[in-house]
Amino acid sequence: MATESIPAAPLSSAVFAILLSLAEGEKTGSPATGPGRWGGKHGYLIMKDARSPQGGGVNMGPGTLYGSLDRMMRDGLVEQSGISDDERRRYYRLTDLGQTVLAVELSRLDAALASARSLGLVPDGGRS
Amino acid sequence: MTRSVSQDEPLVRLYTFALRLFPAAFRERYAPPMVQTFRDALGDSSLARRFLIPLVVRDLATSLAKEHLSMLRETFSRPALIYNALVLAALSSGLALALYSIPQHVLRSGADDPQIALAGDLMAKLEQGVAPADAVAPASVDIARSLSPFVIVYNDQGRPLASQAQLNGQTPIPPQGVFDYVRQHGEDRLSWQPVLGSVKGVRIATVIERVPSLNGGAGGFVLAGRNMREVEARIGQVSQMAGLTWMGMLGVILVGTAVFGWYSRPKAL
Repeated sequence: MATESIPAAPLSSAVFAILLSLAEGEKTGSPATGPGRWGGKHGYLIMKDARSPQGGGVNMGPGTLYGSLDRMMRDGLVEQSGISDDERRRYYRLTDLGQTVLAVELSRLDAALASARSLGLVPDGGRS
Repeated sequence: MTRSVSQDEPLVRLYTFALRLFPAAFRERYAPPMVQTFRDALGDSSLARRFLIPLVVRDLATSLAKEHLSMLRETFSRPALIYNALVLAALSSGLALALYSIPQHVLRSGADDPQIALAGDLMAKLEQGVAPADAVAPASVDIARSLSPFVIVYNDQGRPLASQAQLNGQTPIPPQGVFDYVRQHGEDRLSWQPVLGSVKGVRIATVIERVPSLNGGAGGFVLAGRNMREVEARIGQVSQMAGLTWMGMLGVILVGTAVFGWYSRPKAL
């Protein structure tokens, strides 16, 4: 059952990485569909995105991935797209609430990073 | 880049087998996509095996624990289940309390019966004008050891006039407040510890009554008592049995709630 409330930040690293991966897909679209007609990402693509430095560098296995997706679907942050090229593969995409939650988390992290930067805690040349 | 997956089949079978350890509801929902994700990972040549296998093993361990805990939380944290268990626990606590307090009350009040009779008989003699020393049969009861009932007659100021009881070589005297109460109410029944802290376990089931006149003069008091050692031992047994019954009932409620919770748990969506 989806609860239409924004989960309290901070998000777990797995949840954040999943949201980020799906948001990235939402933005770029897929070669087949293009932006705005997003069919979602399947489990391994999300895992791969999460593992990359841009995706947060989160090493998660299938158990953590699907456990997190299960709870995120229950919280209404993601949904199955219903599109699949293989019955064993499930594709997931962000809901509006998921996008909002990600935006709130990014703002929180941004504010924390700005604060750290103002205190000189971020080394020169660090990624922003 | 992808790798040939045929050589990975033993690993896939092993992983599929390991997924049986997940809670049934989770397994039914996610085992096929999890296996497919594992296949995809095995087929990705950019992902080294020496990295993937330990990652999947660690992930299995942590996600198994997490999903089982989550399943237990969902199974047993339902408000109706907890409410029912609490109501049953409250009822069983009330029942256990009654199992203790009713026999305790019966045993304690029954411990006064001989003293009530003795005090009544002695009162009758004193009211007929018999002197206290003559009315009290000669006896010496060491109230710390003996379980025999005894009587004592006190004057209006609470000083002993005749006694069958001895404690540490002296006639025990109740606190002045007891005499004051009996002066107002005519009678009192109490558990009396004659010398607090000095002789362990000396508690007396006491009946004390007001005598309107002694030897045609001022009034006085008649006390009849008996060591409560045996009665308290029986009350202790009752307390033990009630305690065991209470724990047993709580255990049955716990097991029953767990079994009911398990069989009525929310099924897979």
